Amino acid sequence: MKPVFEWVRVTQISSVAERTFVIAFKEPKSAAALEPGQFCMISPYPGSSNVYLPRPFSYFRVSANDTIEILFRTFGRATRWMASLTPGDRIGVFGPLGNAFNQHPGAERVILAGGGIGIPPIILLAESLSRLANPPRIDLIYGEASGSRVVDLAKVVPPRVCCQITTEDGKIGVKGLVTEELSRILDTCKTPPAVYTCGPRAMMAAVAGMLTPGKVALFETACEENMACGRGICQGCVIPVKGEEDATRYVCCCTEGPVFNGFEVKWD
Amino acid sequence: MGLNQTVRCMGLSFQNPVLVASGTFGYGDECYDIMPFSSLGGLVTKTITAARREGNPPPRIVETDAGMLNSIGLANVGLECFLAEKLPWIAQHAGLAKVIVNIAGFSVDEFVEVGAAVGSRPEVDALEINLGCPNVRAGYIHFGADPESVRRVISGVRKKVNLPVIAKLTPNVTDIASLAEVAIDAGADALSLINTLPGMKIDVAERRPVLGMGFGGLSGPAIRPVGVACVYKVCQHMQRMDAQVPIIGIGGISCGTDALEYILAGASLVQVGTASFVHPQAPGNIARELAEYCETEGIGNISDLVGLAHQH
Repeated sequence: MKPVFEWVRVTQISSVAERTFVIAFKEPKSAAALEPGQFCMISPYPGSSNVYLPRPFSYFRVSANDTIEILFRTFGRATRWMASLTPGDRIGVFGPLGNAFNQHPGAERVILAGGGIGIPPIILLAESLSRLANPPRIDLIYGEASGSRVVDLAKVVPPRVCCQITTEDGKIGVKGLVTEELSRILDTCKTPPAVYTCGPRAMMAAVAGMLTPGKVALFETACEENMACGRGICQGCVIPVKGEEDATRYVCCCTEGPVFNGFEVKWD
Repeated sequence: MGLNQTVRCMGLSFQNPVLVASGTFGYGDECYDIMPFSSLGGLVTKTITAARREGNPPPRIVETDAGMLNSIGLANVGLECFLAEKLPWIAQHAGLAKVIVNIAGFSVDEFVEVGAAVGSRPEVDALEINLGCPNVRAGYIHFGADPESVRRVISGVRKKVNLPVIAKLTPNVTDIASLAEVAIDAGADALSLINTLPGMKIDVAERRPVLGMGFGGLSGPAIRPVGVACVYKVCQHMQRMDAQVPIIGIGGISCGTDALEYILAGASLVQVGTASFVHPQAPGNIARELAEYCETEGIGNISDLVGLAHQH
C-alpha cells in the first residue's frame, strides 16, 4: 500500500523494562497492510515537543483491533518525549515505509537473532513465519546487555518458537552474547538455515562474519540510520553496500531497506 | 481555494507562490502519491551535476534545535540519467506546476555544460544555480562566496540558455546584497535566498562530530530569521539600485505565516524545504494557508503583499 500520514491518539503506553516502553495507537490502514521489517515515522503534534524531525520505528505488534504497538528505548530527546506521552496524546504516524523481511525463507530451520532494541521486527517476523502453512522450525535468540533491560516476551512469542535469552551480565537467560548462542544453534543445523537479524551494528556485523554465502539459505538484516523523510528524498539515511568490484555504494536505508541481504552490507 | 493565487514572475505564471526546495523533494516521484507537486507553484529538483555522485559517507543527517544538519554531498543520478529518466517523468506529472532544475558544478565549465544541456530541454521552465559548491579549481572556495565566480558562473550559463536563470545564493558571506548585485549584473533573472548555513554537532559521549563529514548545512525553523533578513536586505538593496528581479524566499518555512514573513520581506515566491520531511504534505498545506489568509484579509492577489514590510 502507499504510506499514509495520520494524526492518531496514543491508546496505551507502558514501561516494560529499564528505559523500555511499548506505545500503542490505532491506525487501521497501516495495521491491515504492514509487514515484518517495515517501519513508520513518528512525530510530535505541532507545538507539543521540541523534537523536530520524525523518527523511524519498526513495527512490533499488530492486534486484531487495528492497534499497532511500537517497542522503543529511551536514548535521546525524541525517545524521551515519546516516553512522556500519555493515552489521548496525539502523534503523527507515517507508514508503512520500507521493504519487509522475505517471509518465504526456503529453509527447514529459521534462526532469528535480535539484539537490544532491535528485537521488535524480529518478534513480528516470528509471528508471521509461525503462521505459514508449513512453518519452519524457528529458533529465536534475544540478547540484551543486562537483565534489567530484558522485555518479557512470553506473551508475544508464538508458542512453537524456541526462544533463548542471552544477557551479558547473566541475570536472565544464558550469560553471553547473541553470537555465542547463534554459533551453538548453527552447529545443530543439518541443512542450511535462514538467518534473520536486527540489533546493534556491531552485533549484526559479528553475525555476518559467522555466516558464509551458500551455507545459509537466506541472511537478512534490518538496519537503522538517522532518517529525515523516510521516502528516499533526502538521501540522509544511506547504508554502505558492496557495489561492482567491491566499490562502496550508498543506498537509502528507508527505501532500499531497512531489510538488506546481510552479505551485501559493508560492515567494516 | 477558489481565489486566484497566480504569481507572474520571470515571465512565467505560477499557479500559487509555493514551490518545493531543491534536495527536499527528490525528483518528484518519491512522494508524488502523498504530495503531488502538480498542485504547487513548482518543483525545484535535486541538484544535478555532470557525473553521477555517490555522496558523502554516513551519518549524513542529524537533528538540531529547531532544525537539522545535512551533509549529503550532492548525491544525484548525474546529468545523463536525469535527462533520460527523471525529467520526462517530472514533465509528465507536473501539470500546471513549473519545473525548475537545480544545477551545480565543481568548475565554471561544469556549470555551463550542465546548464546548457538541461536548458535545451523543452520540459524545463527555469534553471536554479546552486552556488553553494566548492570550486575545485580555485582552492575549494565556494562559488557563492566569491563575486568573480558568481559572475562567471551566472553569465556563462546565461549565454547558453534562453530560460530564466535563478541564482541561489549562500548566506555565508559578509554582504549578501553585494553578491546579489553581482548575480543580477551577470544576468540572473531571479534570486533564491537562502541556502543552508554551515553547522556542526558533536557527540559528547563519543567526543567527535556526529556527521560523517563533520560539517553540515543547517536548515529548518532555526534559520528562518536569517533567511528573512537576507531577503529583506537584498530587497532593500535592489530598491536602492533600482533593479527589479524577483526573490524566492527559502529557509525554515513550515506554515503559511512563515511564508508570509518572506513575502512581506520582499519574496515573490517561496520554497518549502525541510518542512516536507516533518510532514510530507507541508507544501500543499502552506499553499492552502496562504490562500485562506488572502481570503480572510481581503487581499486580491498574494503578490500585493510582496515587500510590504519595507513601508514601515
